[in-house]
Amino acid sequence: MHWLPALLLPLLVLAKDPQLELAELAEKGNGVIKLTPNTFELLTSSNRNWSAAIQLTALDKRRRCEPCKNFDPSWNEVAQAWHKVPKAERDNHFFATLDFDDGQATFQKLGLSSAPAVYIYSATDGPHAPASGRFGPHKYDFSSGFEAGPLAEQLSRHTPIPIPYSEPFNWGKLLTSIAGVVSFLSLLRWVGPFLQNKWVWAAGTIFTSLVMTSGYMFTQIRGVPFTGPNGSWVAAGYQNMYGQEVQVISLIYGTLALSFLMLTAVVPYQTSPGRQRVQVYLWTFVIMLVYSVLIALFKVKNRGYPFRLFL
Amino acid sequence: MATAYTLPDISPTAVKNTASLVRIVALALISGAAIASRLFAVINFESIIHEFDPWFNYRATKVLASQGFYEFWNWFDPTAWYPLGRVVGGTVYPGLMATSGVIYNVLHKLNLPVDIRNICVLLAPGFSALTAWATYMFTKEMKDASAGLLAAAFIGITPGYISRSVAGSYDNEAIAIFLLMFTFFLWIKAVKLGSALYGSLAALFYFYMVAAWGGYAFITNMIPVHALTLMLMGRYSSRLYVAYCSWYAIGTLSSMQVPFVGFQPVRTSEHMGALGVFGLLQIVAFAQLARAHMSSKQFKDLLFYSVIGIGLIGAGGFVGLTYMGWIAPWTGRFYSLWDTGYAKKYIPIIASVSEHQPTAWPSFFMDLQLLIFLFPAGVILCFRELRDEHVFVIIYALVGSYFAGVMVRLMLTLTPCVCVSAAVAFSSLLDTYLDPAKPEVPVVEETAPATASKPAATATATGTSAIDDVVNAAKKSGKRGIFDLDTRLIIVFNAFCMLSFFVLHCTWVTSNAYSSPSVVLASQNQDGSQHIIDDFREAYYWLRQNTPETSVVMSWWDYGYQIAGMADRPTLVDNNTWNNTHIATVGKAMASTEEVAYPILRKHDVEYVLVIFGGLIGYSGDDINKFLWMVRISQGVWPDEIQEPNYFTPQGEYRVDDRASATMKNSLMYKMSYYRFAELFGGSKQAMDRVRNQRLPTVSPTLDYLDEAFTSENWIVRIYQVKKEDPLGRDLKSANAFTDGKKRKRSKPVSRRRAIM
Amino acid sequence: MLPLLSLLISLVTLVVARSSTGTDVLVIVSAEEQKDYTLFFEDLEGRGYDLFFREPKAEKPVLLDADVPQFHHVLMLASDTKAFASDITPQNIVELLTKNVNVVVALSPKQNLFYTLAPEFGLVPPPPGTPLISYFPERTDPPTVLPVHVAPGPIVTPNTPPVWFSGIPFSVGNSPLLVPILNAPSESFASDSDSTTESIVESVEKGGEGLWAGSSLGLVTGFQVTDGGRALFLGGGAILSDAFANKALPDGSSSGNKQIAHDVSAWAFQESLVLRIDETSHHVVNATEPKEYYTTNDQVVYTTKISRWNAKENEWEPHTGVDDLQLEFTMLDPHVRTGIPEDLARPGTYSVTFRAPDRHGVFKFIVDYRRKGWTHLKSAITVPVVPPRHDGYPRFLSAAWPYYAGAVSTSVGFVLFAALYLAGETKEAGKKKKE
Repeated sequence: MHWLPALLLPLLVLAKDPQLELAELAEKGNGVIKLTPNTFELLTSSNRNWSAAIQLTALDKRRRCEPCKNFDPSWNEVAQAWHKVPKAERDNHFFATLDFDDGQATFQKLGLSSAPAVYIYSATDGPHAPASGRFGPHKYDFSSGFEAGPLAEQLSRHTPIPIPYSEPFNWGKLLTSIAGVVSFLSLLRWVGPFLQNKWVWAAGTIFTSLVMTSGYMFTQIRGVPFTGPNGSWVAAGYQNMYGQEVQVISLIYGTLALSFLMLTAVVPYQTSPGRQRVQVYLWTFVIMLVYSVLIALFKVKNRGYPFRLFL
Repeated sequence: MATAYTLPDISPTAVKNTASLVRIVALALISGAAIASRLFAVINFESIIHEFDPWFNYRATKVLASQGFYEFWNWFDPTAWYPLGRVVGGTVYPGLMATSGVIYNVLHKLNLPVDIRNICVLLAPGFSALTAWATYMFTKEMKDASAGLLAAAFIGITPGYISRSVAGSYDNEAIAIFLLMFTFFLWIKAVKLGSALYGSLAALFYFYMVAAWGGYAFITNMIPVHALTLMLMGRYSSRLYVAYCSWYAIGTLSSMQVPFVGFQPVRTSEHMGALGVFGLLQIVAFAQLARAHMSSKQFKDLLFYSVIGIGLIGAGGFVGLTYMGWIAPWTGRFYSLWDTGYAKKYIPIIASVSEHQPTAWPSFFMDLQLLIFLFPAGVILCFRELRDEHVFVIIYALVGSYFAGVMVRLMLTLTPCVCVSAAVAFSSLLDTYLDPAKPEVPVVEETAPATASKPAATATATGTSAIDDVVNAAKKSGKRGIFDLDTRLIIVFNAFCMLSFFVLHCTWVTSNAYSSPSVVLASQNQDGSQHIIDDFREAYYWLRQNTPETSVVMSWWDYGYQIAGMADRPTLVDNNTWNNTHIATVGKAMASTEEVAYPILRKHDVEYVLVIFGGLIGYSGDDINKFLWMVRISQGVWPDEIQEPNYFTPQGEYRVDDRASATMKNSLMYKMSYYRFAELFGGSKQAMDRVRNQRLPTVSPTLDYLDEAFTSENWIVRIYQVKKEDPLGRDLKSANAFTDGKKRKRSKPVSRRRAIM
Repeated sequence: MLPLLSLLISLVTLVVARSSTGTDVLVIVSAEEQKDYTLFFEDLEGRGYDLFFREPKAEKPVLLDADVPQFHHVLMLASDTKAFASDITPQNIVELLTKNVNVVVALSPKQNLFYTLAPEFGLVPPPPGTPLISYFPERTDPPTVLPVHVAPGPIVTPNTPPVWFSGIPFSVGNSPLLVPILNAPSESFASDSDSTTESIVESVEKGGEGLWAGSSLGLVTGFQVTDGGRALFLGGGAILSDAFANKALPDGSSSGNKQIAHDVSAWAFQESLVLRIDETSHHVVNATEPKEYYTTNDQVVYTTKISRWNAKENEWEPHTGVDDLQLEFTMLDPHVRTGIPEDLARPGTYSVTFRAPDRHGVFKFIVDYRRKGWTHLKSAITVPVVPPRHDGYPRFLSAAWPYYAGAVSTSVGFVLFAALYLAGETKEAGKKKKE
């Protein structure tokens, strides 16, 4: 009877269940099926008892798709997390990637003009078909960013069982922080006097408040670029700014504050009247000049502003 | 000794008296300026309550004034958050209303029948004068009276504070900034003197602050941080112990008397810092005491480690209690200050508010102008002296500037600190250049400065004339000074010019940017004259006069307080955004198709739906622009039914024209906004949305479940009436088709038997 | 015309006015058809109705004048007419119904505007020219004239003998407002006379779809409009006619047509099965006046009084014997749902006491009583339920004893300390305390 399986084998291959075929592909791609237009059709065939999440991307260098490259690692991480699921469940959902260069026609058919995109196809048949009858494709919403965490969380709504994704523990971060603390403690002897110097603290305080009042948090929270697309560094509009503006503005504020401090705290200690006079005039000039620049800059941001100073 | 210019010969007492008279006059003038500059809103428009929240405060104050405090305390408002209702007495900071109520009653006892509305409108300007005074007192502790006067003048007119306290801006902040500054002043005073009296007074005003504004948590954390820093700097003293303990004990107990706060001071993380510092102070005090009584080295070591051990156990206890749920973790609002991405992810309602956006630098400059760069200079000067109170200002500067950067609205808490340290910097400059003492140039002249003579006023008079005092004081402070008159003059002239510019700037900003009631809008006609757009009140009064008193009005939450205040109708949601699900329900109704929205509307007994539409005249704050927030918030609750990407075009654009997505076009909000809009332009291709600059389809959307009831003059407010269910039990779409005479498709009897396959 | 007239009539002819809404009946019928219904009209006039006749094409008297209905009841017997005057439209008829005018419509195999009207009520007439046919029981009459057994129901008098029917059946939708009164015999079907059975066979093959046959089809069906009048659809006007009233059944006994004409017109004109809620009241236990708002966990008494129209006595009388009346205390969802038993001491009064939920909000007392054939009763009263007042909580809580003990012991301790401090030696007392 040993020959019987051997005889049946080619038959099995011929009449292979598409699900098995896909499972094999997934196995080959380490959890992610690398799609071609043909396998795309197979994966998204209208009569399917599996679900699929497909990343449509353009990873080729010539495509210059920066977000695609940022997103791809997260995608693979989540797919691999799914790959750890027991086989019985694993083959009911597939992760796949279709690159633009492999399937331009598919991109056109889907009407996609931007990448990356994630389409989720629910099962249309079998026990995992959604009761709502909405089989997709659902489009993944990138509003929560490119991170793997939210991706896994949102995709879990469409998979038969939740994706067992957990953020990889950041050992590097832990080690660095431990090393930091340890080195700080060991260096305390030398750093200690430094920390007890109030001017160190003063510098820190001034730096922080200068940066904060120059809109640093705005650039952080909004994630605005350092400069504009055409090389301009002043963003138009009152409630908008680029990263470089923080530097310029804090420099201006710092210069002005320094000039005032010079006039108040340093100039009076001059012993020679002549040098004192030169310094007073110098700092006054600096104040006037920088202040004018500041006002001019503000006028760029707020066009309705009626005042100006020298400039 | 040499002086740079001649001082008149006046006796020290005369100088002292004149100085105090000048101070009083200056303070009075500053108060006058502070009040006057806040009256632009009344002059340009009228005596009207502004914006959104003030309308609720005004309504609550009316209840308090007419029914008394106990009725207010027990006030359950069935018209808000219909049908959930709102327990107003327990969910409101009553300080503002109570203040107005007291003023109202006092004036009426004095037979001055002032309308409650005018008290509410003018409360904020009135309190701004008090704020100026409190800032004066505070700064006086930092440096001297002249710096105090400067600080008072700064805070009196700086736009950063005016933005929240113009006449009509009847909000908690109106009185809270005064309380903030005065509590800080009393705290500083208490620490300086080690006085339990001042500590208790600080607690008393802290209680008032707790009753007035949710921002009291700022004080709750600032004072402990100050105390902790002082301890870390090795500046623990019995003065600090007395001040802190008296403030904390009395302040916490009294703050728990406010119903809205309740047990929060012992149950939430925001307040744990204060408790922890209180505990730490006890340990440190005990250690200090014990050390004084012990001699052995081992004992001292034992003490040192046991103190650290107790501290660690205490900290561990907090963590444990938090995990066990006895102490509530940080609330989202508070947490979002640290983790700035938190709100957008988890609490879109908070992120959707425009005043919770981060601050760009032009806002800082607009609100504070020259103060913003004097501020670091002032902080450095604080570092130079670094007395206990200067540490306070430094911490305040650090924390305040961070918070102001994260949220536009917290600019308000930064402003007083900026004013104080800028005043310190500026008055130091003036002190230096007005000081008549001239180093090492022996020309004796007779003078007596009036303003810059604080040393003269305070120094004990030992010499024969005021000049000696001045000179002695100057000499004591070291070998420093300005030699020439021309340098003095240029600096003083410069300072004068900069201050004048500041005044011009503040006046311009106040009159142009911060004095709009936002209930009434203004635009410029061709000839430059002002044109008033009064659509909001027109619509609200229409509701008030044409609908039954019980008819429920649905709108986005921004307009809830205004509808309650001006139209006096029940609303589903309002600016007190306490129930996310209810808001999401409204968002879902707005974002869904008519068929989906109708059962929601009927379930909530909605009779009118109100939308704000700015497309005709270009009013950009309309509902279509806020629409994505409605979608996002409801998506948070019903992720399967509402999905944000469906409201964008496939290219990811937010459009309202021909290319708008089908979901967008079928949404109730879109339909209500653009209903009959194309017809207004004669049905041609001319229908233009002036906010989004897009041409609309020539065919307007149709409405089956709603009837247009009212559209205001400039189409800003559109009100729709929800139709009743069809008396014949049909769905309203086919009922309308029947009324319009459209033929129904012939149907056949349905099979009652299942076909056997 | 209407209010004044009805007032006059109710004053002058108090004895005979029997409908709960009024006595003016507009009969839209052609002059030749009018003769066929003399018995029915006599019956109506005998019950105190004033009949006004109008030719289908005549312009007067109008149904609605400036949107005000001019009659209390409208009888549309002109079933064979194709064209009507301009104001007789399906839309106007629906409008009449929403304004509490009762309408009786007779359909016929000939298509006219009623064919577009009926589907609005969930009734679908068969294609034109397909009358109801039955070959059972065996009789001499043509197959389109058939006797129909009357099923018992709330509207028709019990034990009414079978009635003659001629006309069309209609499929009855699943609207809860429909009241089936007379259904087709199970062996009957609708068909045009040319292709008697083929179409039936065809539709049977389709699994019954489009099959105009069987007992699920309606012949006489009522419709209770929400907050409005009653509509009655007749498959054919002939059921009311003199000819059928006098026609003997196949077994020789007299038909029930006269009886059913009386019964259905009494129902349609709101003589029978008419209910109303006279008053509702609510208050806390041991009080009589309603409160403006209730406190959570209050014991609330809800009382309602229901009357029924007595057509014989021409007055409203207490309606007793309802055992399935329900009260819902609702905020978004019902928080309390309870039966309202009858108060036996006061006939027609139903009363229940329940505990208000421990949840504040704006609640509604809702009574929504819908039974087939009867007028729907609906009452909703909005009332806020508020949390207890600040002084409404219990003063001393057992759970708070640790706090009381703490407060008292601290106070006592302070007094003791102060006394010792003042009485004893200053230095020693201070030391003692700190250690």
